[in-house]
This record gives sequence, structure tokens and C-alpha cells, in this order.
Amino acid sequence: MNELPQQLVNGLLLGSMYGLVAIGYTMVYGIVQLINFAHGEIFMTGAFGALTVYVYILPNGTSMWIALPLMLIGAMLVSTTIAVGAERFAYRPLRNAPRLAPLITAIGLSLALQQAVWAWYPDAKSARTFPQIDGGPFHIGSVTIQTGDIFLLIAAPVSMAILGYFVMKTRTGRGMQATAQDPDTAKLMGVNTDRIIVIAFALGAVFAAVGAVAYGLKYGQIDFKMGFLLGLKAFTAAVLGGIGNIYGAMIGGIVLGVAETLATAYIADIPGMDKFGSNAWADVWAFVLLILVLLFRPQGLLGERVADRA
Amino acid sequence: MAVSGIGPVEPGEGTHARDTHSDGGALDPRGVRPSDSPPRKESWPRRHRRIALAAATACALLAGGGYLYATRPQKPAPAPPPFPSQVVDLTYLGQVTPAGGSSPRAPRFAMRLSVSHGPPVTVTRIGQPSAGITMSSTPAPPFRTKAGSVRKIVITMHVTDCGKVPKNAGLPFVDVTLRNTRAMEEHSFIPGSRYAHDLSTALQVACSNETRHHQNA
Amino acid sequence: MRQRSLIAITAALAAGALTLTACGSRDNGKSSDSGSGGTTVTIGIDAPLTGDLSALGLGIKNSVDLAAKTANKQNYVKGVTFKIVAKDDQAQPSAGQQNATSLVADNSVLGVVGPLNSSVAQSMQKVFDDAKLVEVSPANTNPALTQGDDWQNTKTRPYKSYFRTATTDAIQGPFAAQYVYNDAKKTKVFVIDDKKTYGAGLAATFTTEFKKLGGKVVGTQHINPDSKDFSAVATQVKNSGADVVYYGGEYPQAGPLSKQIKATGAKIPVVGGDGIFDPTFIKLAGSNATGDLATSVGAPVEDLDSAKTFVKNYKAAGYKDEYAAYGGYSYDSAWAIIEAVKKVVDDNGGKLPSDARAKVTAAMQNVSFDGVTGKVSFDEYGDATNKQLTVYSVENGAWKAVKSGTYTG
Repeated sequence: MNELPQQLVNGLLLGSMYGLVAIGYTMVYGIVQLINFAHGEIFMTGAFGALTVYVYILPNGTSMWIALPLMLIGAMLVSTTIAVGAERFAYRPLRNAPRLAPLITAIGLSLALQQAVWAWYPDAKSARTFPQIDGGPFHIGSVTIQTGDIFLLIAAPVSMAILGYFVMKTRTGRGMQATAQDPDTAKLMGVNTDRIIVIAFALGAVFAAVGAVAYGLKYGQIDFKMGFLLGLKAFTAAVLGGIGNIYGAMIGGIVLGVAETLATAYIADIPGMDKFGSNAWADVWAFVLLILVLLFRPQGLLGERVADRA
Repeated sequence: MAVSGIGPVEPGEGTHARDTHSDGGALDPRGVRPSDSPPRKESWPRRHRRIALAAATACALLAGGGYLYATRPQKPAPAPPPFPSQVVDLTYLGQVTPAGGSSPRAPRFAMRLSVSHGPPVTVTRIGQPSAGITMSSTPAPPFRTKAGSVRKIVITMHVTDCGKVPKNAGLPFVDVTLRNTRAMEEHSFIPGSRYAHDLSTALQVACSNETRHHQNA
Repeated sequence: MRQRSLIAITAALAAGALTLTACGSRDNGKSSDSGSGGTTVTIGIDAPLTGDLSALGLGIKNSVDLAAKTANKQNYVKGVTFKIVAKDDQAQPSAGQQNATSLVADNSVLGVVGPLNSSVAQSMQKVFDDAKLVEVSPANTNPALTQGDDWQNTKTRPYKSYFRTATTDAIQGPFAAQYVYNDAKKTKVFVIDDKKTYGAGLAATFTTEFKKLGGKVVGTQHINPDSKDFSAVATQVKNSGADVVYYGGEYPQAGPLSKQIKATGAKIPVVGGDGIFDPTFIKLAGSNATGDLATSVGAPVEDLDSAKTFVKNYKAAGYKDEYAAYGGYSYDSAWAIIEAVKKVVDDNGGKLPSDARAKVTAAMQNVSFDGVTGKVSFDEYGDATNKQLTVYSVENGAWKAVKSGTYTG
């Protein structure tokens, strides 16, 4: 069973990506209590933003070491613009409307973004290849790590550290915490809640963009549908970790990723379970885990640290 | 192409001397404009024009002919001969049990090879890919078959290693190398389930211990 | 406030809906030039025109369009002008069934080419059969579609109106197994499929034959076609000691799967069926795809002079998309419908009879002509009588034919 370390690393990588996207769900939910179902598509547009920089802006054959930071910036620019635009034009007018209204808007926005990329991005009707980092895989003991995964392995913890510092230590971060606890009181205390909400959307988009670049590097291709399933998984990760809690999003992502991977690899080995152990069943096991966690800890793994509002 | 070749041929302004906006400029590659030329040179563009007219007509004819030729209804006249694999058909007839009784370790099968059309096809090799068996045939390759004719081939399997023989193949191949004037090709024929059944039965018999008894089964 | 929110919701939903309908209508085929008057006969097309498999679907659509245009240009059936109507099934059985219903409702439709996916075909067969509307698939390879669910034991044809020009997996799977075991000399296989009608069926016929030949199956997996992360499966493949992977499914998943398997350091070929035989597979699988194998129905285009003419005409017609894996079969499927219509019209004194659909379906059974892919005719189950298969291998970033076979059983 020397396969286990490799499978754990596979799960960790997949989970880190879920986590990066889950942060967007959890931050927006924590502050405005909106489930931004278009977040998966914001992630997708980020990937296309990065691709645009590489294919249409940089000269051919640019080294990935130069291109990667620029692609990251491109991805962030595109996803942030779309997220902030969505907040301004789709969600803000509905801020005081019944809960269902923004939810449906989010679903509509999600479809519109998907179809817009499908219709107008060149050759996006089928998958487009994403540039790859050259060089062979790294071996640590029996574990193989792909060059494309190195980015994810570094970017995920670094992003988390920066986010933690931002939310805990900076003025704006504390303003976010205050708004999350009680928007009205925060407003009375002089916090510009509108600005805080915009920042929450923008930050979520930035992390989604990092995740999107990692996705492209890991799988080598992106398509207009990539945000749907990944968004759903990331949302699950956010709920699993405790929606509203940024560390919970990352932990939830990793737990989900590892659970899926191990389910694929090992469930079939349990006697009598060979029918339920394949990769196609991994999602089922992931949701079984979610249900179990929610049964015993309805607030998610890390609970909702930000507030105990009714 | 044809249109631009015909253009200057029309008897236009240019045929009359000294017409300033003649299309002579277009005709004369050196850009000598008839209006500016001394009278002596007047015949030059005219003669030139005649040549051009002839050339243009030829061009037009060629282009027109070429167009007709290119868009002629399918079936090009000198069609290259077809690839051998596209005209050869190999069908399974049945297992051969000769009166003399062949060795059960070498079952024999009859096949019918036919060539539907095109030049004659030569079979330069006939075999099968499974390990543990070698195959021979009568007639032994190379042999030639003409279009429209049919040839009966008897193949014999020689079991060399029962441990490797596929006992129950569902889709055994007969690999044939075919050659005609067009090309030489390796092609696999899959004579179908009846052959598969007969072959696996025969191979099981060949590899069973009491071969003698099963010989006539 | 409430009104504003209502407006916003409506706007957002409308925007979404509009984009969707725009997508739907965009690819609905432009009818071919309707020239000389007389009757217009529509050939319906159902294929995935958008999404992952659109490369194959658009090839089908364009090839049928080319057949219709060719027939019109040659005035092949006197007094009849052919036009096409293309429906997008997005590779979804539910969408396919809706398309079937709407094609049936259009009285000018006398035959349908499609679909691409066997799973979609299952949802359409009955709709067409009830309307006695003939359906010719250029790409379905699942044996059950023509020979019934119990095809291994007793063959019974479920629907009289369903025909296909492609070879079935009952031959394709074993053909691949024979090649992999005997020619490529691989003995330990890891079998993966996508659980769909086509993929699972093909993987099953491959596995059966591979075991019969003496090969060992060292592992099996089923993947989720919506996912792109196959790292867990790839790790299993590497540790299983397999020397070859067989994948039953299509290229959008096969490409990344091959890539991720190679990335683990397992330098073993991935083998698949006609569903992965597309240039996109090589694009998605990356540089390590060299040596991967695919079986596909039909002889290689280079071997068929009729196919070369088709390729030339296809290029001349200026279609934006490639004719892809099923172009030749789609052209032949459409031409079979045209032949059947011609027979019906000729038998009826140059006019379409009132029960044209039933007559065309009946005439299809006896259609026989030299098509792009060789001789086209159908056996008692509606399967093509011409059963050729070719093994292709990835070399220098392109598919190259390595071995062809003809089924003559």
C-alpha cells in the first residue's frame, strides 16, 4: 500500500484548489449572507483571463517564469472586474429584496457568463489548452509531484497566510469582521459597509483567479463549463468547513479533496463495496461525508466563527 | 482567371489609334502608352494586341476546359487502381477433415479468397498473430488472383506451445499481406464467429491429452 | 425597491435565457440552396453541435449538408430538393429525445442522420420508430441498438427504422483486444470507462476478448465524465503494474486521463475506441500521447479513393470545422436516405407517396451503393454490411494508421 502517500497528496492538491475557490463563497456569505452561485463562473473567467494574457498579449514563446505572474495578474483583473461588476449591477440593487431574488440572479448570472464565454471567446466551444510549465515531475520518496502542481502547492498556503493577515490585522479586515458580525452596528461605527462588501467580492475573485491558474496548470486545459462542477464542490467545501469561516473553507476543501481521492482509491477494496468504489462514485461519498458532518456539527467543521446571528 | 483574361480582348477604345484612355497600359508591360508613342510605333501595340488576343483566347479555352475537367462528374477517367485491401474478400468456408486423417495438432480450415475488381492481387504472406501457433497455407504464398475470380485456400494451424494458445478467441485474425500495382498492404481479415468457434474447438482438441479420441468429434 | 429588484431578476433571467436561445438557434442548419421547385425533402440531423463533442458533431452536420448539396446539384432525385435541419443534442439523451419529437413533427423530414452517442440513440429510437421515420446513425457503435439487449445470446432487432453505417463494438472491442494482445504484445490491462452506454459497452467487449486471449485485467475504474481530476485513478494505474490502459469513452476525458497517467511516470499506452479518435485527443493529452492507440470504424482515408474525393469536396465547400472521425459515414448515411427517397419517388411515378416515411424506411433495407467508406448496404439488423476497422497510433502529434482489418463473418 505504498500508494497511500501519493493518494493523500493527490487529495491535498485537489482540496487546495477547492479551498481557494471556497474562500469566495464563504467570504461573500459571511458578509452579505448571499450564496454567490456565479462564483464558479468567476473562477472560469479568471482562467480565460490568464489564457488571454498568454495567447493574445504576450509574444509567442514567452518563458513561463515571466508569463506566470502576468497571467496571474490578468486572471485576477478579469475575475475581479466581473465579480465587482456583478456585485454592483446584479446584487446591490437586490440587497434588501427577499433572499430568493439574489439567489436566482446568481444562477442567471452564472448561466449568462458561461454562455457568453462559449459564444464570444475564440475557439471556446470546446476545451482550450492552457500553457504548461516545462520540466519533469519531482519525486519525494514514493510521491510524485507534477511541475504544474508546484504552483498550487505554494500558492494555496501563501494566499491563506496573506488572507489571514489581511482579515485579522488590517483596518479593512477588521472592518470586514465587524460588518460580518452586525452590518448595522458596523455602519454606525463608521465602517463603509458598501465598500467592505465590494472588497469581499473582489477578494473572493482574486482567490478564484489563483485557483483558476492552478487549474489550468494542473489539467492543461480549460473550458467554459469548468466552473460549474468545481463551483459546486467549492461551495460544498465551504459548507463542510463552516460557511462564513475563511479557514474553514480551506480545511473543508482539503477534507473534501482527500475524501474524494481516498474514496476512489480504496472503497472498492472493502469487501462487497466494489460496485461503489469507482471515481464516478467519489462525489457520492463526498456528499455522504458532508451529510454526516452536518448531522453532528450543523455549523460545519470549524463552526461559524464570525457571528451568531439569528 | 478566365474573366480577366478575356477582358482586354474586346475590341474597345484601344483598337483605334491615339485613344488616350486605351487599355494599352494594361497590355504593355513596359508601360508605353500608345498616345505618347510616335506613329511608327503604332503597329506595335496593335500587333501586341493580336498576340494577346490569341493568348487570352488560349487561356480562356484552357481555363474553361480545365474548369470543365475539374468539375466533370465524378469517376475520373484514369482512376488509379484500388488499394488491394479494398477489393479482396476472405470468407470462411469450414473446417477440413481429410479422409486420411490429419494430425489433430494441425487442424485445417478452408477459406475463399476473392478479388472484386481492379488489377490482380498477389498474396505474399498469410499468417496469424497469436503466440503458440504457426500457420501455413495451400497454395503457399505468393499466389496471384485475378479480378472476378475466386480461390480456395486451406490454412493449417500448427500448435507449437499449448501454454500460449488462446483457447477461446472470439475474433481471431488472419493476417494477409496483399500486393497489386497500387500498393502492398498488411491487412487483417476477421472471418467471424463461426471460424472463431471452429478454431477454438480445434485448438482445444489439439491441446487436450486424449487427442486421438477427439479427432473425429 | 421591490419593483427594481423584480426588474433586475427579469433582466438577468432574460439575459441568460436569450443567450441560451441564441446558442440554440445559431447552429440550426442553414438549409442548402433550394433550387428547382418541386418537392422539398428535409434530412434531419441530430448531433452534439455544442459542448465537448462538438468537433465530431459539426463534422457530421457538415458532411450531411455536403451530401444534400451534391444531390441537389446533380439533380439526383428528379423533382426533389433536399434540405437539412440540424438539431443540437449536446450529447444528452433528454435533448436528443426532444429533437426526435420535433423532427417527427416536421412533415417534410423523411430521414434523420444521427446521433453521435449511443446513449442518445437509445432515447430516440422509439420516437422515430413510432413515426416510421428512418434514422441512420453514422457513429453509434453499441451492439444493443440493432441486435437487442441480449445480443450476445439471441439477436433480435428492436426497431425496424434504425440503421447505422458504423461498425459495432461487438467487433471493435475484440478487434482492439486482438491488436493489443497479439500485435502490441501487452498482457496486463487496466480498464477504465465513463459508465455511459458507449464507453461501458466498448470496455466490456474489449475486456471479454482480452481475457479469452489470455490477458490479465489488473484493475478497473469508472470515471465521472464531468470531472477533470483523474489523479487518484492515474496513481492506481501506475501502482497496478499494468502495461496498457484501455479506456471506454470519449476524447474530452480520454485526453486529460492519458496526460495524468503519463504524468505519474507510468509510460504505458492508453488505448481507446473511435470515441477518442480525434485530433483533440492529442491536443488534450499533450506531448506524452505518442504511442497511444485508437481503433476506429472504417478503412483509413488514404486507402479509399472515394474518401479522397469526399475530402476534396468537403474542403472545397469551405466548411469551418473538420469532417472529423465520422464525416465519411455521415455522408454515406445521408446518401443512403437520398437513395431510399429516390427509390420511393421512382416507384411512385416521380412523386412522393402520401406514406413516404414508411416507404423510405422499407426502401432503406435494400439500399446498396458505393459510398465514401466503401460499399454501403444493411443487414437484417440494420447494421452496415461493410465492417472495416483500423488501428491508429499517435505519432508526431497526429493519428497514423497502423493496421486495418475487415470483418467478413
